[in-house]
Amino acid sequence: MSNCDQFREMYEAYALGALDPPERAALEAHLATGCAECAKAIAEARWLVTQLAYLAPEAAASDMLKGRLMQTVRSEAKSSSPVAIGDKTTTTSHIPYWLSAGIAALLLLTLYFAWDVRRLKQELLAANEQNQRNEQLVASTESERTATQQKLAAMEEQMAKMHRETAILTDPTSVKITLAAQKIQAPQMVAMWHAKYGIVLTGQKVPMPSGNHVLQLWLIPKAPGGKPMPSMTVRPDANGNFVLLVTNPPASGTETKALAITEEPAGGSAAPTTTPKWVGAMS
Amino acid sequence: MLNFVFLAAFSPKDDREASPDATLVRLLLQNDVGAFEKLYDKYSRIVYSLVLRIVQQSGPAEEVVQDVFLQLWRNSAQYDAARGPFVPWLLTMARNRALDTLRLKSERQRRLENQTDELFSVVVAPQYERELDEKRRAERVRSLVGELNPQQKRAIELAYFQGLSHSEIAAELKEPLGTVKSWIRNGLIRLKEGLHTAS
Repeated sequence: MSNCDQFREMYEAYALGALDPPERAALEAHLATGCAECAKAIAEARWLVTQLAYLAPEAAASDMLKGRLMQTVRSEAKSSSPVAIGDKTTTTSHIPYWLSAGIAALLLLTLYFAWDVRRLKQELLAANEQNQRNEQLVASTESERTATQQKLAAMEEQMAKMHRETAILTDPTSVKITLAAQKIQAPQMVAMWHAKYGIVLTGQKVPMPSGNHVLQLWLIPKAPGGKPMPSMTVRPDANGNFVLLVTNPPASGTETKALAITEEPAGGSAAPTTTPKWVGAMS
Repeated sequence: MLNFVFLAAFSPKDDREASPDATLVRLLLQNDVGAFEKLYDKYSRIVYSLVLRIVQQSGPAEEVVQDVFLQLWRNSAQYDAARGPFVPWLLTMARNRALDTLRLKSERQRRLENQTDELFSVVVAPQYERELDEKRRAERVRSLVGELNPQQKRAIELAYFQGLSHSEIAAELKEPLGTVKSWIRNGLIRLKEGLHTAS
């Protein structure tokens, strides 16, 4: 039996990502020896596996998605060598007291989450050990382990989000944009825009949108005649507070003239349906 | 690292002329918006269908699709036609992103894992592959997989759309591990033979 014989039955499962870790490791160790036969078979299996995508029921994304993407792509194409926001001579303005307090709270929360993640990892380890010790309890410990793993994954995700928010709020290259209320009695909102990590928009004591409406962020392009680019939506909590993280803005800061907030139906709109309630020019 | 070895060991011959898709992707390097729109119009439906099937919710699905196409626009140089056709590359990237969303993976994990999965994997399509348009291909794949027994089909779907491993599928279906392995392998081989025969 050649070396490859023992791996032939694994090609499809490897391409599918279904091999369990020991088998995967064995096959990868074999591939690392430079086996062209197995590499070719796996390359073919990869193509076969992608055909399974056609089993998904047909569905179409909203026109809004295409609109958003095309606006981003067009504006990026126009500025082939975009200048990062952080490269501007203007840097972060003074961060108000309430925002500093928010950052401090965020950092404390991050520390708490880090501690909790560590605790969960220890629980996971304990569940694994228990699993090994007592086979009769496998079913119950397995479900505990799965629940802990899910909780851990969710917390790690939450931590990554908070890390990003903290980075945006504290990085000296972030640009601050103050959004003033337009023709309504409401406090201003503050956005911090980091060239790499995105935008954090914060609001306090913001009037609640009517019905199930939401607040939607728009990027107003510098280009003459450019249409507002739709971004994410948010609904403040019961006290009118919110923190909105936009990880992938539809345009860069150098291409944007201002940020605006409108009230829109739930789910947001492709184009504004109301006049902006808050507007803030890029500094 | 492993996949670098892969490439050194095996690099498929590209004896065909550049495909229309590869030509469009090359145009992205020159900031050709029209080429991007053509690729989006051609493939957004299958990409969105796949992602929606995995993440099950339209909002997160659109976020993943946006991420995939922006990655294509901003990093089109990552696609190397010498390593295989465009569509499997795009679908692999979409599947990986969608599964990451499903598993709530952190961005750090995502970056580390996808680097190897997407950038350096070689894909070889059979000669008959280019003769199928998207609609006919979808019909054939659905018909062929529909002929498998329901449990076998379910096992393949759990692996592809939920990213489960053999042992996870065996636990989910309450079937022996060996049975699950055979179902998946034999099912995919039947699909491969069926696609070949039908061409």
